[in-house]
Amino acid sequence: MFVYEKKLQYPIHITNPNPKLASLILSQYGGPDGELGASLRYLSQRYVMPYPELKGLLTDIGVEELGHLEMVGTLVHQLTRNLSDDQLENSSFAPYFVDHTTSVYPTAAAGTPWNAAGIGVKGDPMADLTEDMAAEQKARVTYDNILRLSDDPDVNDVIKFLREREIVHFQRFGEAITKLRDRLNQKNVYFMNPSLDL
Amino acid sequence: MDNQEPELNAEEGAMQTETATPRIPDTQGALPAQGMLANPYVPFQMPDSTQYQPPKGLVRGTLFPGLDLPFMGMVNQQEKDDTPMHELQALGFAIGELGLYLDTHPDDRGALTLFRKYSGLYDQGMAEYQKRYGPLTAGQSMNSDFYTWIQNPWPWDFEQTEAE
Repeated sequence: MFVYEKKLQYPIHITNPNPKLASLILSQYGGPDGELGASLRYLSQRYVMPYPELKGLLTDIGVEELGHLEMVGTLVHQLTRNLSDDQLENSSFAPYFVDHTTSVYPTAAAGTPWNAAGIGVKGDPMADLTEDMAAEQKARVTYDNILRLSDDPDVNDVIKFLREREIVHFQRFGEAITKLRDRLNQKNVYFMNPSLDL
Repeated sequence: MDNQEPELNAEEGAMQTETATPRIPDTQGALPAQGMLANPYVPFQMPDSTQYQPPKGLVRGTLFPGLDLPFMGMVNQQEKDDTPMHELQALGFAIGELGLYLDTHPDDRGALTLFRKYSGLYDQGMAEYQKRYGPLTAGQSMNSDFYTWIQNPWPWDFEQTEAE
């Protein structure tokens, strides 16, 4: 069950519309390493996690990622409000605009619609938590790249926040692997799959 | 490239814990002396890590200076204005951050105490905010003449409430 709180996790107020920047940031909405994939990855991996601390962590990080999805959608929305004809016609945003106007559609910056092929839900805790650590790194690099491409201080304020969350999540998933190892055969953690064999 | 900061001053503005014996730096954690081959290891965060206050934690994206690892020195130096919404966001953030920490450190009494303290302040703040500015959850729409839940602005709107 989810209950919506009518507020963002982090304040967003983007003064200057910038459709080109919006079309890049959109990748963290529906791209391969974006927040939609992140939340679905963790919230889907939860069901066969055998230990309570791992169920808790995947739930909590998965829910936070939904909050980040809303933040990225807000960035795209505020960057594409009140666009002039000139801003629309002479921007890399035009091909997106023709299909979606200024609504927020889950797609990668290069145009590929969101696809579950970008997330891993394997049903083995060691495999899934290792996937999660890699996923946090990939999202972190995407935010690094957005910071390289953007010089808008209102946008970068928010991107720096989102990027730092990836680092904290990486740390927690790494700790989760230590907790998992403590539960398994100390000589061979690959002896069996605790999601299936316990 | 805005807000250049040559090196991270993690201790600035942070709550210091007084300890008699020198402890390992906040940027380092516990690892076994030897580890199993073909296993991933991330250092485990220590239980007495330094923490930022919630308003600073919010703009840094973490409560923990040891995990505050910015890209090319790009750091949010300025805390958000002291508005009712920003206070709620800072407290909500601190609760979420401590919650993730507690998922992997469930018996850290210091973190549990702080988690309960921030949760109490958050509940109080939510109640006061909603009485004054309108509902943040649908169930809190208490006006008898109109379903105030639907009123603008919604969180993604550029237009802001007076509380922001």
